[in-house]
Amino acid sequence: MAKGESPLKQFEIQPIVDIKFLGFDISFTNSALWMTITTAFILIFFTVPFLKAKKTNSVSDLYPTRMQVAAELGFNFINSLLADTVGKEGKKYFPLVFTLFMFILFGNLFGMIPYSFTFTSHIIVTLALAMGVFIFVTVLGFVKHGVKFFSFFVIPGLPIYMLPLLIPIEIISYLSRPISLSVRLFANMLAGHTLLKVFAGFVSALGFFGILPLVFIIALTGLEILIAFLQAYVFAILTCLYINDALHLH
Amino acid sequence: MPQLEQVEFFISQLFWLGVFFVVLFSVLTYITLPKIRAFLNKRDDFVKSHISKQDDLIKKAESIIENYETKLNEAKNEASKIISDAKDKAMQDSESLIKSAEEKIQQEIKMTEERVTKEKDLAISDLKNQLKDSATNFISKVTKIEKGNIKI
Repeated sequence: MAKGESPLKQFEIQPIVDIKFLGFDISFTNSALWMTITTAFILIFFTVPFLKAKKTNSVSDLYPTRMQVAAELGFNFINSLLADTVGKEGKKYFPLVFTLFMFILFGNLFGMIPYSFTFTSHIIVTLALAMGVFIFVTVLGFVKHGVKFFSFFVIPGLPIYMLPLLIPIEIISYLSRPISLSVRLFANMLAGHTLLKVFAGFVSALGFFGILPLVFIIALTGLEILIAFLQAYVFAILTCLYINDALHLH
Repeated sequence: MPQLEQVEFFISQLFWLGVFFVVLFSVLTYITLPKIRAFLNKRDDFVKSHISKQDDLIKKAESIIENYETKLNEAKNEASKIISDAKDKAMQDSESLIKSAEEKIQQEIKMTEERVTKEKDLAISDLKNQLKDSATNFISKVTKIEKGNIKI
């Protein structure tokens, strides 16, 4: 990147193909491009190793290939995550949590490639994902419990005179879920990438001594990869917890 | 911050997010995840069936060992029986052998005794006849009576 460029320039959206539909601008942008790459990668990574699954029943078919083991790892990871937080009823929501986790994880990870674009660093994308989860969980709660779902805001075992104070707090905390969920992911991605870019600026500015921030960038890249995984994990586990709340209330 | 400034791309971002999320979700739900699950289930079934097979085989082996032990005991009993029978038989055989030998010896003794008495009698009667002959010869020579007329 040239000198004097804003570290925030990496977050700029650049349209690749201009598309207008019913007056709406739905241009195919660099954000959409990296969503395409992420989606394609996930589908290839998890589907292709199992396409060749032979129909015979010989023992050798049961030995997984390397790619199958890698895909199984992701499958079992989300499976145990759901089993630990929601329990047996959680199996129904496995595809949703799996899709969310993998989409965010690989979105974050591909964002670590230099000159790529991190679509999860955009608040509108994370907010849309979080709102989707929020609406899904709320609808799920009403479908499972009907009007009884409102008892979720009443903490059991509390004196009645405390309720007028605590019910609004509970409602506010419930409504702030999508905001905290989306801002957490967005802010982590934004901060990490900005920090990397700022230190990358130092590398070119300091000349020979730029080797010091370079070393720091290398370490920071490792940390960012960890955060990329961690934020996807946090998003997935919070989704699981919200599903659990909707299913079991308290 | 482009995230909040480029409002004109919000709808585009939401649109493509929706498209790709729905595509990813449906393909994963209806194709990929069932395939992975089927694969894992197949392996689990295989392992489970082998574990149950193993249990069966262990039971089989135990019954075979039991069978073997009972058969071994039977064989041992039979062998000791055969040995004692053989001993008894050998004892009986030797006793009867000794008996028959004794009997034979006694018979021989008897036969020898009989022969001896017979020979003794024969010798005595021979002597008597010779005495008679010599007596008649002597008498006929002395008395001139024919031998045929002499009676002793």
